Amino acid sequence: MKIITENITIKNEVLTLTNHRAIYWQRENALILSDIHIGKTAHFRRHGIPMPDDILQKDLERLKNLILYFNTEILLIVGDLFHAESNTDMKTFKEWLTQFIDLKLILIKGNHDKLSTQLLSHFNIHEKAELVLEPFTFIHEPPKSSTKVFFISGHTHPGVLIKGKGRQKLKLPCYQISSNQLVLPAFSLFTGLNIHAQPENATCYAFTDESIFKF
Amino acid sequence: MKNFKQTEGLRIIENWMAEKGHAPFTFQMQTWQRYADGYSGMVIAPTGFGKTFSVFLAVVIDYLNRPEHYGKGLKLLWISPLRSLAKDLAKAMTEAVDEIGLDWSVEVRNGDTPTATRRKQERLTPDVLLTTPETMHLLFSQKNNSRWFKNLECVAIDEWHELLGNKRGVLTELAINQLRHYSPELQIWGITATIGNLEEANSVLLPYSDLKITTVKAKEEKKLDIISVLPDEIEILPWAGHLGAKMADKILPIIEANTTTLIFTNTRGQAELWYQLLLDAQPDLAGLLAIHHGSIDKKLRNWIEDNIASGYLKAVVCTSSLDLGVDFKPVDCVIQIGSVKGIARFMQRAGRSGHSPYERSKIYFVPTHSLELVEVSALKTAIKEKQIESREPVVLTFDVLVQFMVTLAVGQGFEEKELCQRIQQTHAFSYLSREDWLWCLQFITKGGKTLNSYEEFHKVILDDDGKYKVKSRRISMLHRMNIGAIVSEVNLKVKYFSGGYIGMVEEFFISKLKPGDSFILAGRVLELVQIKDMTVLVRRSKAKKAVSPSWLGGRLPLTSHLSHYLRLKLSDALEPGRLEKELRFLNPLVSRQDAYSHIPKADEFLVELIETKDGHHLFMYPFEGRLVHEVFSALIAYRISKLKALTFTIAMNDYGFELLSDQSIPINESNIEEILKKENLMDDVIASINASEMASRKFRDIAVIAGLVVQSQPGARKTSKSLQSSSGLIFRVLEDYESDNLLLRQAYTEVFNQQLEEARLQQAFERISKSKIIVKRAKSFTPLSFPLKVDSLRGTMSNESLDKRIQRIKAQAFKMD
Repeated sequence: MKIITENITIKNEVLTLTNHRAIYWQRENALILSDIHIGKTAHFRRHGIPMPDDILQKDLERLKNLILYFNTEILLIVGDLFHAESNTDMKTFKEWLTQFIDLKLILIKGNHDKLSTQLLSHFNIHEKAELVLEPFTFIHEPPKSSTKVFFISGHTHPGVLIKGKGRQKLKLPCYQISSNQLVLPAFSLFTGLNIHAQPENATCYAFTDESIFKF
Repeated sequence: MKNFKQTEGLRIIENWMAEKGHAPFTFQMQTWQRYADGYSGMVIAPTGFGKTFSVFLAVVIDYLNRPEHYGKGLKLLWISPLRSLAKDLAKAMTEAVDEIGLDWSVEVRNGDTPTATRRKQERLTPDVLLTTPETMHLLFSQKNNSRWFKNLECVAIDEWHELLGNKRGVLTELAINQLRHYSPELQIWGITATIGNLEEANSVLLPYSDLKITTVKAKEEKKLDIISVLPDEIEILPWAGHLGAKMADKILPIIEANTTTLIFTNTRGQAELWYQLLLDAQPDLAGLLAIHHGSIDKKLRNWIEDNIASGYLKAVVCTSSLDLGVDFKPVDCVIQIGSVKGIARFMQRAGRSGHSPYERSKIYFVPTHSLELVEVSALKTAIKEKQIESREPVVLTFDVLVQFMVTLAVGQGFEEKELCQRIQQTHAFSYLSREDWLWCLQFITKGGKTLNSYEEFHKVILDDDGKYKVKSRRISMLHRMNIGAIVSEVNLKVKYFSGGYIGMVEEFFISKLKPGDSFILAGRVLELVQIKDMTVLVRRSKAKKAVSPSWLGGRLPLTSHLSHYLRLKLSDALEPGRLEKELRFLNPLVSRQDAYSHIPKADEFLVELIETKDGHHLFMYPFEGRLVHEVFSALIAYRISKLKALTFTIAMNDYGFELLSDQSIPINESNIEEILKKENLMDDVIASINASEMASRKFRDIAVIAGLVVQSQPGARKTSKSLQSSSGLIFRVLEDYESDNLLLRQAYTEVFNQQLEEARLQQAFERISKSKIIVKRAKSFTPLSFPLKVDSLRGTMSNESLDKRIQRIKAQAFKMD
């Protein structure tokens, strides 16, 4: 796995964008990501749609590589850690977690996170509706009216459609950054891309396995 | 039955017909006799000659002759591809049984049938049931469904030619197979219009060796008048769509001179456009002119259909939505706007006029650009020589098979070995291997090959009684919602903000509009207010300018039959026969083409190299239809790129294609044969196209049919939101983790058979290899190349890597959505 990074500065803080759908914040030694949707493939299987669980394995493998690469202490998940009900994928996740005893997990509650707080405590996850770490406010879905706060959020699964001459088209996941917010791409590979929702005057950082592009 | 002619049943029917002043046609009599003799078979007859009564009355006569042979409940099952047909057929049948004095009940069951009626039908099955292939499968998904079919004597497949060439045909084959399982003595009858492969159509419908099989062909023929509407003057450089407005004035007198006229266009967008054009040209047509297409509200469509039948409407602008269906007696004239792309389709549309036996059908052809006149000339000859396209049956559609297996598991359950043997009897799955069958079984029970990664997947389970069943209510419900093989674009309902339903638009179109934007639907200008729960809320708009929705479907390529005649006609065009009105009209255009370039003879292949300030153009004219040209052009671009690295812009239409480059194209008389060689054809094709991307597009339908994607119904709240995913995502997942998945393999097969039309492409190269290749150079566009030049469908071809491509697109003036 090739990890490409690009540093950007927001509100005098340096954030490291990666080409693997997560941001590293050195000041807090935190890896920030959103929309992992653990349990999605099992949820599909339960409803008669066969989806192999290798998808989850691959997501977790990627996450592990990122944690080791940055040697991060905190995993900050900006919502939608779990997709639906408690199922076998949770067990896989819990076992996977045992390899990082010192890792602190913080979850900003997303619209999919419907598991009880009690269940979350089994995972040793700290759950919050939103979290302020100056100069940023972490929230799953930012409010529509703009405030002076800078939001870091997820939820929309942002993507960008690039059009070239002669009807060339490409869709890539991206980070959207505007003057008062940053939207994270969905971490899980088993998610679609939304190319319509976009904050005003946003700059997009799209990426592939090899590079990061600014639009 | 030896003395069929003397039987009481036949006498009753003949008397009944005589009272109405009719006598049976020979083919009807033949069908009745053969049915009485225990045959199954296929009736081939043109519309308007009572083909329905050939099969329906056969069952009635047989019943009258030996009622003791018939049990209670359902006797005749009538499967037709169209819902709209059923209502009127049921009316005609009910009338007949009432007048004959039978106590039979005739009922309709399809997606429009209210739940209460359905429950009643389940308690008390009617004697005759008219239905669709999809509804048949829904019936099979009910508990204990076999009890409804145990006394079934006959299943009739109406308009079999409409079902044959697609996956609904496979649904029909499977339904017949299942019915035979419930009622082994069943007689099976198909009714079809003339197509190119009647024998094959027969063997697909009736592959069972224990049946006595026959074919009954009507001698009666529909007479057809084809009249082309010529523009006032010929344009030497023709281009698509340009003739529109001028031709509206030519259409109005035709509408005036006839009782009721159907005006056929090829797309819903065009229908909206012509409706406006005609109203603008003659405003007092308002109220007498209607528009009818698949995206218009069902109630409104029913109203229109009723008012065509009553003769109230003077003319209706429509699409293939009125190709089939109820006979409209008042319709005495059909106008076709633009190319029909196929001989069978043209005849079918013409046949919508002059519906009574022996009445002539009349069709006017209005070209949208002058070259289309060659097509009329080709159509006339093809029809005279009775050359009609074949409908190729589809085989090994694993998506449909998997769906059917789950349908049965939701219903009564199935025994694996027994079902496998039965399925292999059908035409579609006669080459199904035991291994593939076991894969399908694995797929619905375990999810896939790598078992441990599919924990919790228990869609279908093996029950204690040895039958495969679905136990979960939720899975049953999801599956029932998904039964069928028609996968439409995601459509949204369009409603007035104040209430009132207008029709449907495709999601991809509406997603490009912002609130406040205006668009046209059902002839009305509407302003988008908001989109909520799969419904588009609109209000009336005063805007002068609005966009017409474009619908993705409906762009059919030219059939190979028609293109064959097209090439012949073009080669004759320099010296047209005395009666070739269209070709004589086109003479100035053809002469110019010949003077500046060349008119290819039947044994020649024309290549034009044209240099303009835009760059260097290469034109080729295979006349093989848009789909083949898409592949053909990519292939030629690939072969040229091996000589010199170039990036091309590609354009194509049904006649030929263009490669445009900013640098000179290294083609001349000495290497052109190498570029067009038939050797290494498929290897080069695979190297030149993005097969994975094409397969991913094909996989969309497959994923829905096989139940991998849960479709949301228009207007419905998204109840299964947590189960939403796109077929593209699933395609990627399967390519990564289950590359031997049969559904993936099917997607690639469909690309090769349908998208690439492999067989047709090979025939084209075979033909070209025997032709004389003519290379011509010009400094400006020729009449043949000009329509291509302005054609909008453009693609580019390059072999760069993903990252390079992005860099380059970025360097160009890029645009983001």
